[in-house]
Amino acid sequence: MSVIKINNLTKEFGELTAVDNVTLSIEKGQLFGLLGPNGSGKTTMIKMLTGQLKPTNGTAKILDIDVLDDPIKVRTKVGIIPEQETPPSFLTAQEYLEFVGSIRKLSNIKKLSEKWFKMLDFEDQKNALCKDLSRGTRQKLMVAQAFLHEPQIAFIDEPLINLDPIIQRTLKDFLLDYIKKGNTVFFSTHVLEIAEEICTQIGIIDKGKLLHKGSITELKNKRQHLEDFFLKLVKEG
Amino acid sequence: MGFEILKIMIKEEWRLHTSLFGKRMFALFPIMIGIGAFIASLFLPYIKTIMTTQQMVQSAHYIFILFGVSIGSFGLAGKEIMNRRFGQASLVAYSSRSLPVSERTIFLNFLIKDIIYYVILWILPIIFGLVIATLFIKINTISMLLVCGTLILSFLIGLSIVFFLSTLYAHSIKLLIAFLTMGLVAILILINFYSIGITNILLPYSIYYNPSVTKLLLIMILIFVPSILSLIFLKIDYPEKKRQYKNSLMDLSFKFKFSQHSYYIAKDFLDLKRSEGGLGKIIFSFLFPIGLTWLFLYIFLELIPTVKAIMIFAVFLGIVSASIYNMLTAFDTFNPYMFLPVKVSTIIKSKIISYLIVSIFSFIILVLVAISLNQLEWFIPALLSFITISFYSLSMTIYFAGLHPTILFYNSKIFAQYICTVSPILFVFTIASILNPYIMLASPVLLIPALFVLKKSYKKWDKWKPLSI
Repeated sequence: MSVIKINNLTKEFGELTAVDNVTLSIEKGQLFGLLGPNGSGKTTMIKMLTGQLKPTNGTAKILDIDVLDDPIKVRTKVGIIPEQETPPSFLTAQEYLEFVGSIRKLSNIKKLSEKWFKMLDFEDQKNALCKDLSRGTRQKLMVAQAFLHEPQIAFIDEPLINLDPIIQRTLKDFLLDYIKKGNTVFFSTHVLEIAEEICTQIGIIDKGKLLHKGSITELKNKRQHLEDFFLKLVKEG
Repeated sequence: MGFEILKIMIKEEWRLHTSLFGKRMFALFPIMIGIGAFIASLFLPYIKTIMTTQQMVQSAHYIFILFGVSIGSFGLAGKEIMNRRFGQASLVAYSSRSLPVSERTIFLNFLIKDIIYYVILWILPIIFGLVIATLFIKINTISMLLVCGTLILSFLIGLSIVFFLSTLYAHSIKLLIAFLTMGLVAILILINFYSIGITNILLPYSIYYNPSVTKLLLIMILIFVPSILSLIFLKIDYPEKKRQYKNSLMDLSFKFKFSQHSYYIAKDFLDLKRSEGGLGKIIFSFLFPIGLTWLFLYIFLELIPTVKAIMIFAVFLGIVSASIYNMLTAFDTFNPYMFLPVKVSTIIKSKIISYLIVSIFSFIILVLVAISLNQLEWFIPALLSFITISFYSLSMTIYFAGLHPTILFYNSKIFAQYICTVSPILFVFTIASILNPYIMLASPVLLIPALFVLKKSYKKWDKWKPLSI
């Protein structure tokens, strides 16, 4: 069952075509990695799929909800970790999770947030203002807010950036366990090792065009290295 | 490095604004201010019939000091305003993180850049409008130019003093209180024991009528010494000094339980409380417009002595109190909400409630003024008039500028639209208040179009792509 259906999705910024006529569908329970060089259209794609950016053309459905018709409903159902945004400056980390929990109308916010403080090992920072947190701790907080409501789909833009190797391992294990439970992850990265390690499916995008979509197992069966495959594909354009 | 940082910062500020709403719309802003000053100056001969020239010049100096204080209050928020304005963008203001440039150098350049920008956007156009107007009215152009020169000095004194006070505040609030007390005592001693008039303490005004090198030197000391001291003792928050805060969002949110947006309102108040300057920022941002209101009131009372002063004050207070909304939006862009299931209109609605709560300040001011003017019998029509015009101008602010009034009002088209929709109402309310204050009992009728505009605003801003820098 496809939980993400993308049909001829295009985004133009003036003369620049950031995403060019992409058609793609992702099945439930997949960990889909959208790979591409810097500026290839990965973030634009995630923003369109989560209703943060209006496409110039095409449609996208998340859990059968048309993103253009009801972006708020989509964002209610999914979790999003944006690439750059940071939590509001003057709330503490704990307050921020409570704030997000209130927006998402969760009932046991305190318990849920405690779980994330423990899992990502930043309990000692929970009473510090978000503006005073290190980039890594802010990233942990963004991870926690995205999964606080236990969404069926998570959209993650460069998920492991700024995190130390221990937390990276924790998060990788969490994501693998998360898809085992039937959830889906759509994440973008240019770090190929991460994709090779945890993704079940990959898509390669360059200059807005989707150059390839397939499973990691296929590549492994062909004894092909993801890095070689990626470089060859992107160079050939 | 010389002036390179400053030049780049100025270029950056220009590109920041022009990228948001186009070169022409931004460039037209000072022209509009100049035209406004020109039109206002044409009324000077009429004002001269009720005020002496000296009184006018003195009032103008007070206004420019307050203007400097108001503009300079960015020093109170310092880096927070830089953060808010620049967000996560890698601008020159953050160069000290990656380049061998100290934060002090960066801040000095930032300060000079802001002074240049405000002088170009506001001060010079006002002066230009005043000077051009002298060609049409019987006021000597040279005298006007001289007044403009001393007005700039007043502006710079205001700016320098508030910058110094904000530095003291950053170190210790006790230090600030001690300094303010000492300053007040010194002024009282000068006035009472040395018989130095208040006009002599207002040096730029004094130098206009009695020029002297000593006064000019004292003015330079007042401008440069506090600024230099502030830069020397500039305090920058380093991460290792980070504080732990008691978790209070939910408790505060419970107090606003009457609204379905209680947690957004609680967040607004925590933003105001925990950012530098605290709730005092709101009072601070009120000084300049309230000062202006008093001046208008003074003119009106002289012009038409029978007028009920409280009525006029209520009308102007209504307009200026809408600036509280600007402060409430100053620490909150929509970007951190974009990935959550939140509409722009939800945030706007919560800001309106926060605005209504903070408007209690304005209400208290209105009560105090009514008592001090001994005009309590007019309080009800004055209150209705205040509520109506305040809500009307708030709805127009929201319609034209959404969550970004401090940025979008620099778009001359948006600013002109706002002025065109608010000033006729201001005019009608003022005239009605003069004719018969009881007419204002019907003023809440205006709440109907205001609510209609608000409803349209929600739709407009929900469709709009948030500003990103």
